[in-house]
Amino acid sequence: MQVDVVLFAHFSGFQPDGKGGRHARAFELAEGTTIADVIAMIGLPDEPRVIFVNSRHAPEERELRQGDRLAIFPPVAGG
Amino acid sequence: MIAPDTLDLHPHRPDEVSVPIPDTALDPELRARLRGCTVAIIGCGGLGSNVAEMLVRSGVGRLTLVDFDVVDERNLNRQFFFRDQIGMPKVIALAENLQRIRSDVRLDLLQDRVTPENLLGVVRGACAIVEAVDDAGAKAMIVNTCLAEVPNVPLVTASGLAGYGSTNAIVTERMAENLYVVGDLTSDVRDGHPLFASRVMAAAAAQAHAVVRVLLGYPEP
Repeated sequence: MQVDVVLFAHFSGFQPDGKGGRHARAFELAEGTTIADVIAMIGLPDEPRVIFVNSRHAPEERELRQGDRLAIFPPVAGG
Repeated sequence: MIAPDTLDLHPHRPDEVSVPIPDTALDPELRARLRGCTVAIIGCGGLGSNVAEMLVRSGVGRLTLVDFDVVDERNLNRQFFFRDQIGMPKVIALAENLQRIRSDVRLDLLQDRVTPENLLGVVRGACAIVEAVDDAGAKAMIVNTCLAEVPNVPLVTASGLAGYGSTNAIVTERMAENLYVVGDLTSDVRDGHPLFASRVMAAAAAQAHAVVRVLLGYPEP
């Protein structure tokens, strides 16, 4: 199945093509792949993150589906 | 702890003479819409105290203010407090200052840290939520919890406002259906960037304006 993955801010440097940028990349994933699997696959650091699928919050254990758009955003400190 | 909905420091009294903010340009219907709204502001530091001031001046009728901390001398370079308020709980000091701007604003105060357990009680009934805490983990918790539990309530968060980079880098982005992110997304106070009043307030103004636009029916930033 194909899933679009968007990584914001410094997470974008973890896109597999190494080119950074916040545009979506198409990932070819096996059925049953979870968000946590994708995070492990691309090696995101263990930092606070906001995760949404198709513009709605999703827990890391959620299984992705064909055509999903996964976005991960790392908030930074300061306020 | 001061629980929201149990302490309304300054309830609106119909017989009280209140001086409305002069604003002849705003349509009475839109003014009434703002007056009828409650906005929950989580964190009353550099972002939250200034967001609260701007929303009160804009005519929002009711605010829920949440912060565990007390006013410190080091806050005065960017937060909406004064020297004679040092040592006061921030929510109390802020309520005092907001009342000086508009006597009819309704304020519900909680002097506590926001946790996954108390967050939903804090945002109950809010027309919009402002995330204005400083810790990245707390920001993520607030955003993830609100998106999961109250997905229909617009949430304005901030990320990336430290340092002396250009304010032109601070943008408002609609990152998901009801999630607005203000900031440059990258400048982290943990990297040693100082917090300047001018840049923090630029982010606070963008947050406040995103709230006003959403409340007036303009969902795009």
